[in-house]
Amino acid sequence: MAQKFIEMVGMTDVGSVRQFNEDSIAIDPESGTMVLADGMGGHRAGEVASRMATDIIFNEIKSRMVEFGNAAGQHSPSLSVDQSIKRANTAVHQAAQANAAYEGMGTTIAVAVFYDNAVALGHIGDSRIYRLRGRTLQLLTRDDSLLRDQVELGIIAAADASDSHNRSLVTRALGIGDDVSPHLHEEPVLPNDIFLLCSDGLNDLVDDDDIELIVQSLKSNLPLAAHHLVQAAKDNGGYDNVSVIIGRVLKPFPARGQKGWAARVFGWLK
Amino acid sequence: MAKLVLSKGGSVLHQCFLDKDRIGVGRDAHNHVVVDDAAVSGEHAEIIPIGNDHILQDLGSANGTFVNGDRVDRHILQHGDVIELGSFYLRYLNPRVSGAIDLERTMLIDGLYGADGGAGNGVDHAATETRVPSARPGRVRFPKARIKVLAGKRAGTVVELDRVVATLGRRGDRLAVLTRRPHGYFITHVEGRRYPRVNGQSVGKETRILQSGDIIEVADEKLQFLMD
Repeated sequence: MAQKFIEMVGMTDVGSVRQFNEDSIAIDPESGTMVLADGMGGHRAGEVASRMATDIIFNEIKSRMVEFGNAAGQHSPSLSVDQSIKRANTAVHQAAQANAAYEGMGTTIAVAVFYDNAVALGHIGDSRIYRLRGRTLQLLTRDDSLLRDQVELGIIAAADASDSHNRSLVTRALGIGDDVSPHLHEEPVLPNDIFLLCSDGLNDLVDDDDIELIVQSLKSNLPLAAHHLVQAAKDNGGYDNVSVIIGRVLKPFPARGQKGWAARVFGWLK
Repeated sequence: MAKLVLSKGGSVLHQCFLDKDRIGVGRDAHNHVVVDDAAVSGEHAEIIPIGNDHILQDLGSANGTFVNGDRVDRHILQHGDVIELGSFYLRYLNPRVSGAIDLERTMLIDGLYGADGGAGNGVDHAATETRVPSARPGRVRFPKARIKVLAGKRAGTVVELDRVVATLGRRGDRLAVLTRRPHGYFITHVEGRRYPRVNGQSVGKETRILQSGDIIEVADEKLQFLMD
């Protein structure tokens, strides 16, 4: 890529209460890759799970993107996201079975890969992906969490969800079983779109309205925006590790060649 | 484990651990918690455990179910809640979740939709109307403050600083942010070649705490910061 099409920043913080940071992040603006994971498991195994998953997914997607950048032909970032998540799942699951100290470890995952004026999203668990377009922040993922199920099924009112103690209970995670099905999603991307990946340490403590205000107000200074998000979570208690990745799309980024991936998926845009 | 303590007139009558799929509360003898009071319906209320929570549900009782003085239909029980039943009190105790916000580590649990997570596997149209709000923001108190415009067309205007951040100046040119934190308000440069000034002094790239009465200059604006 001759000129940067996306600006990215990432920040991870242990928070105000916990001793260890079990979140992991990785970003690469060159290949348009962002990966965030929030580990779980005792005796710091969560750290191992989130790091392993982040590294495997990040490196695999990055090398595939480089490969596809050099070769003509068709490329599906969604497929790369899916396959790299499954590969990470196998690796984490095998490590957990091979080492008693890692038993039961797992991690959430949130992945965004930008390619050909579109983004491929993948996630498992309660880490989130938001998009700010214009002045509106929209959640693009649905949490695999008991609390969300409860609200969606009307068992508890959304307004009462703040009183629930089920916040930390996720219904799906990477590394727990032999196989895993990530949620995959593709979106067309416009210049000036801002994508936010975060661990629940952010959205559990900072309302969406405040996240929207901070990102919208500080979008011209992404490091400051990331710092403000983390700081707001800590000022509101900081009960969990808190991680954010923010990507701001600077200009269109069509794939070289005629029929790119997005051209096929979002042909109506052309 | 969570438990219920039934009392009347200050003396404890009965304790009941919440180790069942459903706990019935009422005057009828078959309830797990039997409350012998004419004001209590035969089947008055039930308590259902879900995840770490216990949810109290009124069963259309004649006189209603009250928690800490407020009538409720459905209520997520909080450690120390008192359910009022006629002249009886039923106290909910759950030391595991007594913290302001649950400090439990993330754990995996079966979802309510079953193994496939409801949304199905594979491609998933994620956009959802379901909004799960953030946790009840503990007992964080933020100082109250406002800015008063001193010069220009808007002179005399007072703007309350009632959000986490407020920007001053002009986007793309000279922009500063005022940040509300538990221990005060701070000003930081966001973008542009010229830094904001406080009491005539440039703040540079640093974040600076504001004192009530400080004069702020950003772009063409001159403002005074006022804090309670």
